[in-house]
Amino acid sequence: MRRTPIVLALLGALAVSGCSSSGGQSAQSAPAASSAAAPAAASASFAVITHAGAGDSFWDVVKNGAEAAGKQYGVKVTYQGDGDPAKQSQLIDQAVSEKVDGIVVSMANPDALKEAIGKAVAAKIPVVTINSGADSSKAFGAITHVGQSEDVAGRGAGEQLKAAGVTKLLCVIHEAGNVGLDQRCKGAEQTLGGTVERLQVDVSNLADVTSKVTAKLQSDKQVNGVLALNPAVAIAARDAIKDSGSPAKLATFDLSGDVVSAIKDGEILFAVDQQQYLQGYLPITFLNLYKNNLNTVGGGLPVNTGPGFVTKDNAEQVAKLAEAGTR
Amino acid sequence: MTLAADERVADVGLARRLLIRPELGAVVGLVVVFVFFASQSPVFRSLDGIANWLDPAATLGIMAVAVALLMIGGEFDLSAGVLTGTSGLILVTLATRYGFSVWAAMLVGLVVALAIGLANGLVVTRTRLPSFIVTLGTFLMLQGLNLGVTKAITGTVQVSGLRRASGFEAANAILAGTIQIGGTSFRVAILWWILVTAVATWVLMRSKAGNWIFAVGGNEQAARAVGVAAARTKIALFMTTAFAAWLVGSILALRYTSVQANIGIGQEFIYIIAAVIGGCLLTGGYGSAIGAAIGAVIFGMADKGIVFLGWNADWFKFFLGAMLLLATLANRLVRRYAEEVKH
Amino acid sequence: MILETRGIGKTFGSVLALREVSMGVRAGEVTCVLGDNGAGKSTLIKILAGVHQHDAGSLLVDGQEVRFASPRDALDRGIATVYQDLAMIPLMSVWRNFFLGSEPTKGLAFDVAKARKVAREELRAMGIDIRDVDQPVGTLSGGERQSVAIARAVYFGARVLILDEPTSALGVKQAGVVLRYIARARDRGLGVVFITHNPHHAYPVGDRFLLLNRGASVGEYGKADITTQELTALMAGGAELEELAHELRRE
Repeated sequence: MRRTPIVLALLGALAVSGCSSSGGQSAQSAPAASSAAAPAAASASFAVITHAGAGDSFWDVVKNGAEAAGKQYGVKVTYQGDGDPAKQSQLIDQAVSEKVDGIVVSMANPDALKEAIGKAVAAKIPVVTINSGADSSKAFGAITHVGQSEDVAGRGAGEQLKAAGVTKLLCVIHEAGNVGLDQRCKGAEQTLGGTVERLQVDVSNLADVTSKVTAKLQSDKQVNGVLALNPAVAIAARDAIKDSGSPAKLATFDLSGDVVSAIKDGEILFAVDQQQYLQGYLPITFLNLYKNNLNTVGGGLPVNTGPGFVTKDNAEQVAKLAEAGTR
Repeated sequence: MTLAADERVADVGLARRLLIRPELGAVVGLVVVFVFFASQSPVFRSLDGIANWLDPAATLGIMAVAVALLMIGGEFDLSAGVLTGTSGLILVTLATRYGFSVWAAMLVGLVVALAIGLANGLVVTRTRLPSFIVTLGTFLMLQGLNLGVTKAITGTVQVSGLRRASGFEAANAILAGTIQIGGTSFRVAILWWILVTAVATWVLMRSKAGNWIFAVGGNEQAARAVGVAAARTKIALFMTTAFAAWLVGSILALRYTSVQANIGIGQEFIYIIAAVIGGCLLTGGYGSAIGAAIGAVIFGMADKGIVFLGWNADWFKFFLGAMLLLATLANRLVRRYAEEVKH
Repeated sequence: MILETRGIGKTFGSVLALREVSMGVRAGEVTCVLGDNGAGKSTLIKILAGVHQHDAGSLLVDGQEVRFASPRDALDRGIATVYQDLAMIPLMSVWRNFFLGSEPTKGLAFDVAKARKVAREELRAMGIDIRDVDQPVGTLSGGERQSVAIARAVYFGARVLILDEPTSALGVKQAGVVLRYIARARDRGLGVVFITHNPHHAYPVGDRFLLLNRGASVGEYGKADITTQELTALMAGGAELEELAHELRRE
C-alpha cells in the first residue's frame, strides 16, 4: 500500500528527466529517418569548465558569451563550474570521456588541473584557457589563453589615473594572497609616476572596508586617488570618500550595475573592464575555427580581452548592455 | 521435534537474513540510479564513464565507510572532512617548504591526524558531551587553523609544488596513480577504497571489536555492564575516521600536487548521508560498511551522471538533492518491507 | 556461602542508601531480597555486582573479604548480574548479545559459527525455545529476553546469579515462565539472588528472604519461618498499612 506512491515517484522522476534533458538528447531519440551519427542541429560540442560555481554574476556574463557564440555557430556549448580544483579536474576528465570537440577552462589552480588538461591534450582535444592561469597555459599545451593580463590592465589604469592628476594612490587589496590583485597594483605603480600604497581589506565585510578607507583618507591627506580591484569594494570606497569629504579620485576594476551608475554620476572616474563576455565568446570562436579549419589563434601568446575602460562617455550604453547580460 | 524446528529455521532464516540486511536498500537505490543514468547516457555506462564516476565514489567511499563505523558506534564526527584538508596541507607544506621527503611528511600528517582523532575521542568519552557538538568545535578550529597557518606560512590560501619534493614519484604511483583495465585508466584510489571497505566489513561482522561497536552504539550502558570497554572502542573509532581522513587527504594532495586551505569543508554531511543511504541509523547500533560504500557509489553516479546528461548547471544542486532523497526513501521502503515479512 | 554481606553500608553524599545489611546466598539456593521502591534494593545489588563500592561493613566471596573494582571484577569471580533493563542490545541478534563481552575467538576472528551454535544449544538446555538466534533481541518478548539473559549468565559459569526485578515488567504468565528458569538455574547448582517487590513471586521459588525498608534490614527469614501474608505485611510496614486502611475507609 505504502509502496505505490514511492514507485510512482520514481517512475515520475524518470519521465521528468527525459523531458528536461537538453535538445541534443531528444534529437537522438528522433525516428530512424535522421540516422546520421550526430543530429544536424549540433555539429560540434564544446565544454566550458570554470572555477566558479553557479550564480556568480561575473561568470554569468562569461557563460552568456559562450552560449551566444554557440548559437551563432550552431554548436553545442555546455557550461560547468566548481571552485574545488579536484572537482573541476574531474569535470575535465568527464568532458574528455564524452569526446568533446574542445575544452575551455579557467585555471585558478593550474597545478591541480595539469594532469586533467594533459589528458585532454593527449586525447587530441584542443584546449583554450581563460581568465586565470595565463602563465601555465602554453606549458600545459593549450592553444592560447584568453583573458586580461593583470599587469597590462594595471598599467592601463595607472596611465588613466596619471592623466587625471593622481600623485599618491591607495590600492585596495580585498583578498589576501591573491597574486592577480597584487599584479594589478604593481602594474599601476609602473605607470603612475607617483607613490602607490596598498591597503588590505576583507571583501566579505564591506562596512569594515568603508571604515578602513575613511580612516586612511583622514589620516593621510596626501592621498588623492583610490583604486579598488572589485566592484563591491569600489562602492564601499565611494561611501568612504563621501564620508571623509576627501577630494580623492576613485577608479575600479570590473563592472557592476552600481559601479556603472556611479560612473554616470561622476563618483567613479572609470572602471577597468576585462570584458569577460569575450572570455566566453572568443574561445568558442577559436575552437570552432580549429575544428573546421585547423586555425590556431594567438601565435602562442595570450589574447587580451582587456583592459577596456568604461567612463562617463560610454557609461550610458554600457549600462544597457549590462542589463542584457553581455557586459 | 528438533529436526523439524531446524528445517524451519533454515528456510525462513535465509530469506529473512537476506532481506533484513541493512545493505539491501542501498543496493536497490544503486540499481535504480544506475539504470536511470545509464539508460540515457551511453558515455555514463561506457568503461570511460564508469572510471569517471567510480573516482569520486572512491575518495568519498573511504570516508563514508569510516564514518559509518563511527555512526554504528553511536557517534558523529563532523571534523572528518576538514581533517582531509589538514592532512593534505601538512603533507604539501612540509614537503615543499621544509625539505621533508613526501613519505616523512605523510608520516607527520598521520601522527597529527591520529592525535586529533584521539583528542576527539577523549573529549567525547570523558565529558559525555554529544559528539556532534565536540566535533563541530574541532571542525571550526581546524577550519581556522587550515586557513590561518597556510596564510601565515605561504601568504596565500593554498600550498602547491609537491611535484618537486623527493619521494613524490613513488608516493604518487601508490596512492594517486592509475591502473589500466580494458584500455581505460582507473584511479588507484578505487583499490584503496575496496580494501578499506573489506577490512571494515570484516571488523564489523567477524571480530570482537565489531560486536563491541554494535553494542556501544545500540546501548552503551548495557555494553559497559557486560564488560565491554566502551570508551576504548569509541576512541578507536574516532581514530579510524581520522586515519581515513589522512588517507584521503594524502591521496588528493598527491594527485593534484597542491592543496587549497578550504578543502573538505562541507563534505562532512555528505559522508553521513552516504552512510545513512547505506543503512546506518542516526541513533547508532545498526548499519553496514558495504552499505556506506554503496551509498558513496550512488553519490558518485548522481554527481557525474547529472553532468553526463547535460542538465543545466544551475539546477545541479537541486537534482542532486532530489536524487539522494529518492535513494534514501527506496532504502527505507525496502527495510520496512523486510521487517513486515519477518513477522 | 558463596556470596555474603556483613553489616554493609553505602552513602551517596548525605544520603544513607544502605546501612547494616547482612545477607548471603548458598549454592543451589535462592535468596529473595524484598522491599518496596526506595528500600535500597538496587543499591545492594549494585554493590554485589561491582558497580558501586561499599562504604561500611564487608563483602565476602567464599568466606574471603573482597572489594570489587569494577563489574568486570565481579564477573570474573562468577557473580553475574541480570539487570532490569537487561543489559541487552535490542538491535543486535540473540547470539551476538549472548556472547557480548566474552566473544569466542578463532585466531584473530570472532568465531561466529561457534557462537551461533552454542547460543542455540544453551538456550535449548535451559528449556528456552527461541526459533531463530539471528533475530534481534528487541523482537523477543519480555520473558524470552529474561531467559536469554539467564541462560547467558549460566553458560559463562556464573556461580551466583543476581536478578534485578526480572518479573516486575511482566504479565502473570510470563512471570511464571521466568520463575521456572530461576528454578532451573538453582537446580543446576547456582546461587540466585532474586530482587523483587512482589512477595507472591518471591515466595514460591525462594529459600531465604531478606526484607529491606528505607535502606535497613527488617529481617532475614528462611522459608520455613514465614508465610506469604507475613512477608507482604512486613514489606509494606504492617502498622502503616493498617493506618492507611483506616483512613481510606468510608465514613
